[in-house]
Amino acid sequence: MNSVPGRETNPNFMNGVPELLILRLLQQEEMYGYEIVQAIRSGTDAVIAVGEGVVYPVLHGLERDGALKSRRKTVNGRSRIYYSVTRAGLRRLTDLSRDWSNLTGAIHKMLRGGPHAQVVA
Amino acid sequence: MPKSSHELLNELRERLLLAGVAPRHVRRYVKELADHLADLKVEEERSGRFPADADSAAIVRLGTIDGLVRAMTERKEFQSWCVRAPWAMFGLVPILFLTLAWCVALLILWSGWQIFLPGSETPFVPTDGFSIFYFGVGRLLYFVAPILVGWEIVLIAARQRVKAIWPFVGLVLVALMGGAARVQANRASVPDGFGHIRMDFAVGPSVQGSLLHALVIFSIAVLPYIIWRFGRVRFFSN
Repeated sequence: MNSVPGRETNPNFMNGVPELLILRLLQQEEMYGYEIVQAIRSGTDAVIAVGEGVVYPVLHGLERDGALKSRRKTVNGRSRIYYSVTRAGLRRLTDLSRDWSNLTGAIHKMLRGGPHAQVVA
Repeated sequence: MPKSSHELLNELRERLLLAGVAPRHVRRYVKELADHLADLKVEEERSGRFPADADSAAIVRLGTIDGLVRAMTERKEFQSWCVRAPWAMFGLVPILFLTLAWCVALLILWSGWQIFLPGSETPFVPTDGFSIFYFGVGRLLYFVAPILVGWEIVLIAARQRVKAIWPFVGLVLVALMGGAARVQANRASVPDGFGHIRMDFAVGPSVQGSLLHALVIFSIAVLPYIIWRFGRVRFFSN
């Protein structure tokens, strides 16, 4: 996953973000890969733009872990693989959301003020 | 000249297989990427691009080939067992399959002995009628099993683009086993006892005979692999 063009992504900071976004999207409805990428782009105002092909290894990995399930469906004459979230996936989404909220809360707190505020200002 | 989507997907498939990603994961990944590319191309054409430009734009949006390869290879769970444990895939598993096939062949021999030749001291005597077919199936399985297992090795090696050393090791092992295998049968000493069949491995009584048998098995099994390698060299050199 890439951040805004021209800005380097810290891989460690982005760890788990693709999974989080995909699970969140699929919590609402089943989707296929292309739809997921477009939904991430529009849902994040293109701040997070996925290198489109790399979403599939994430999807396959989540399916392998039991967080997603897939089924082949023919729509408008084209066969596609639709993904949906499982119970295990929902638990994983809850965990990832909590971790991410804690992380962003901590960073936000640092940026707002505190003893080290001048370092990041 | 920029690659077409077809060329990109072919190159991606080859690179993933050479990197050790399991064929089933490669097949699925490439299939979904092809669908994704088709969707991107339609989107680009709707935005007013010509088809050739739309294809190029779709490829750019899909990502670089290095990135697409890296996204798969950095996940170890997609690696093939041929890469994780080649010694098992090309050494242990063929031996297990060969053993299993020989067990079935020996079971056919033993049961045929009990059914068709109850009074005979050995099952290796001329027979007639249905017993010819029955023993024939067992004999065929016994002699063909090393070749079938060898072809399985070749098939796996070709699908996974494995380095030649591993299939050759597996084929030599299977050929030596096939060449050295001996079946012996005799009636137990107790009256009306069950026949006793055993199998052992020995390079004899004729060393040349055993080695020749092994060489025949190896040659027949390796032939498709050599043809496939030759075909690949010609394909990539054109």
